[in-house]
Amino acid sequence: TITGNFANVIHGLNANHLTDQVIQRSKRMILDTLGVGLLGTNTEVCHKVTQYSKIYSSDISSTIWGHSDFRLPPLYAAFVNGVAVHSMDFDDTWHPATHPSGAVLPAVIALSEAFPQKKKISGLDLLLAFNVGIEVQGRLLRFSSEARNIPKRFHPPTVVGTMGSAAACAKLLALDQSKCKNALAVAASYAGAPLANAATQTKPLHIGNAAKHGLEAACLASQGLQGNKQILDMESGIGAFYTDYNPQTLPTLQSYPWLLDQQDVAIKRFPAHLGTHWVADAASSVRRKLVESSDNLLPLHKIEKVILKVPEVKYVNRPSPTSEHEARHSFQFVACSALLDGSMSVQSFNSENIHRPALRELLCKTQLEHPPDNTPSFDSLYCEVSVTLQDGNTISDCCDTFYGHWRKPLKKEDLEKKFQSNASSTLSAEATEGIIETVYNLEKVEDCSVL
Amino acid sequence: PEETVTSSFASFIREVRPEHLSKTVRHRSKRMILDSIGVGLVGSTTHVFDLALQYCRELYSSVAVSSVYGKPGVKLSPTLAAFTNGVATHSMDFDDTWHPATHPSGAVLPALLAASQMLPPSTKPNGMDFLLAFNVGLEVQGRLMHFSTEAHNIPKRFHPPSVVGTLGSAAATAKLLSLSTAQCAHALGIAASLAGAPMANAATQAKPLHIGNATRLGFEAALLAARGMEANPLILDDIPGCSGFSVFYSIYQPKPLSTPSDHHEFLLEKQDIAFKRFPAHLGMHWVVDAALSVRNLFINYAGSFSPSLIRTIVLKIPVSKYINRPFPSSEHQARHSFQFNACAALLDGEVGLSSFKESSIHRQELRELLDKVVVEHPEDNVANFDKMYGEVALLLHSGDVLTGKCDTFYGHWRKPLSKESLLKKFRSNASHVLPEEKIETIITMVENLENLSDSSQL
Repeated sequence: TITGNFANVIHGLNANHLTDQVIQRSKRMILDTLGVGLLGTNTEVCHKVTQYSKIYSSDISSTIWGHSDFRLPPLYAAFVNGVAVHSMDFDDTWHPATHPSGAVLPAVIALSEAFPQKKKISGLDLLLAFNVGIEVQGRLLRFSSEARNIPKRFHPPTVVGTMGSAAACAKLLALDQSKCKNALAVAASYAGAPLANAATQTKPLHIGNAAKHGLEAACLASQGLQGNKQILDMESGIGAFYTDYNPQTLPTLQSYPWLLDQQDVAIKRFPAHLGTHWVADAASSVRRKLVESSDNLLPLHKIEKVILKVPEVKYVNRPSPTSEHEARHSFQFVACSALLDGSMSVQSFNSENIHRPALRELLCKTQLEHPPDNTPSFDSLYCEVSVTLQDGNTISDCCDTFYGHWRKPLKKEDLEKKFQSNASSTLSAEATEGIIETVYNLEKVEDCSVL
Repeated sequence: PEETVTSSFASFIREVRPEHLSKTVRHRSKRMILDSIGVGLVGSTTHVFDLALQYCRELYSSVAVSSVYGKPGVKLSPTLAAFTNGVATHSMDFDDTWHPATHPSGAVLPALLAASQMLPPSTKPNGMDFLLAFNVGLEVQGRLMHFSTEAHNIPKRFHPPSVVGTLGSAAATAKLLSLSTAQCAHALGIAASLAGAPMANAATQAKPLHIGNATRLGFEAALLAARGMEANPLILDDIPGCSGFSVFYSIYQPKPLSTPSDHHEFLLEKQDIAFKRFPAHLGMHWVVDAALSVRNLFINYAGSFSPSLIRTIVLKIPVSKYINRPFPSSEHQARHSFQFNACAALLDGEVGLSSFKESSIHRQELRELLDKVVVEHPEDNVANFDKMYGEVALLLHSGDVLTGKCDTFYGHWRKPLSKESLLKKFRSNASHVLPEEKIETIITMVENLENLSDSSQL
């Protein structure tokens, strides 16, 4: 069965199977995710879930990233850290679409902290488990053609992310084949949240819950709980989340072809939905052309209208966002913001900036168009920004691959810069450098709890 | 602002009052509460329950204020107690079933019990508040199921308790905690992101988790909403291109709930619940009653039950993959097997708790009978708990044919269990873990629930 095959692979993969590229890419993902998570612990949504989770303190415990003042049981640490990672929509995105790292890293870190003294987990164990979690997600996404496009029904991290977390934790716990199957089966019963909660404060919980529930499934399986051993094979299993479902067995372990080798992730440069990154790059470039011809100031009053040619993605089409969550899911907002400021940053989404009059004015002049050749897939979409001036001139630019996309990955310096900027919100400079060091040398770390 | 479906639900949850509960509704819901507790108590003796309890105890300890069925000394944190008790309730598939199909009480009661223990003495809900909150939980589940015609038949994709049960629990807890209308809406929204488990895990040990999680996660959603967490305020409405609750159905037509004016009619008023007489999937109950009736005919015919005289056993049942199992090998599978339940009824003259023990399942005589079973799916036998029937025909070697048919089993909403039968079931279940006086106390308490001053006593 496919389920049995997955269990065999999860069980059978070991450190020797990791290729250099996979190691390098996954370390970048780990670093980025940690930074995004550290930054995220300052958000309101994260404060709320932390307060909530404090109900459950106990003996076995794991840390909240960046806050050593208290500990939580591993499940809730995974939950809170997962929420932190996705709280600002700043975490990585893959193709087919999901946010792979946020569903896995918090769970494996929390779990590794919970191991008793005598059974240390090494950096390599962590790296391997992390990659198992990513790989399972990627493979599951390929079982349905629906998954190729930007989602409409279920938010992918809640479907495949939960499964990935379960797989990663099962790996870290060194569960046998049978228990790996059960971990996947139990996880399936936790999977699936509807897209409607995207662009609301609840969305970050999707990643938090994926991490937490995957971990829980693995723990329950470890204790002997059994589920349907054909959960990946059946239409009434994971197939329930898709309208077309065609599962396939994984390749043999003999020189295992990791998906991360063939397909890199996109790392975000600013905290908003991935679709807005194309818009930002195009808008910034249009702005440069505009200010050239008028002393470096954006001639707001001369702008007649702004047209954005984007793919049709309902939940990122918001002409007039009022909250930060909505602003992060608005083509219009990001375009106007980038036109005004030249670039996007974490600050672009704070309250004052969302409500500034200049921005509101520009938003009123903004329209969307959906050219039929602009498919809603992160691999093929493009964005064109056209600014028409009162004198009739039109300045436009098109972006088909933004900087940070897998076709144009962030350079090492820029990845580190993002991390440093994020981490500095909660950690000291040396702690920040320490983490960078540790992650880069993860394979050699003997006891990954230093992380 | 324009009334959305979601806000109508939130308003309902917030505004409904005890006075809105009719007599029938109060009576029926008290029966449900009693049955659910009993089923949970006996469920606390199962293996899956042990696993869940062990899990919760290992990982958590603080703020342990909520009790666990059948374990007097043990206390857990509220949501985990709800989880554990929910698992207990569904562990043997012995809990109630409604139409459209779901297991309503198990998804709601554990959360309410845990929540009422959680609240400080000064704000403890009384019995009436409790009963009201319970009914809010049921009503929301029922209304949600009416949003899709898919829900009328036995499910194929998502296990209904994991879909509507989670929202029912959120609604009930929100009511008990007296959340504001806006918070009620958010509780539903957050709960939607925690809902939905696929059918494939039915007939496995993981199925009880569906109810456990429904009640626990709905409870969590309400707690998060109470702390100010916000979700999509249109979660129940139909938004093309971006699915909300509609994601769990292929056809979805939401309708607003009327604000409870003087006369809100609860669904429980019009549509009663089915209580199970033995711990197996509801579909089994038709087949068992049919088997028992043909067994009687057979005994009259042959003097005693002699399996060797039987050539073939024909079962006429509706089409439903997950309950059609010719040779179940575990108790979970046996509870979801038309064939097994028919044969057990034929062989033993009754089906009860012990029918599903390992030794029972693997009996030689039973296996021999199973070998003779043939299944047919007549076109008029619809996979729907309101319309289906079960027919058992014995084709004897002599050429004679004896038939038994059941279209409404005893315990079904059209033929509800009498008060005595319900109490008998409760006493039998509870006696596995509680002493007699405690059992009688619970019975009395539930009967007089409206007058109870502090529902956490329950």
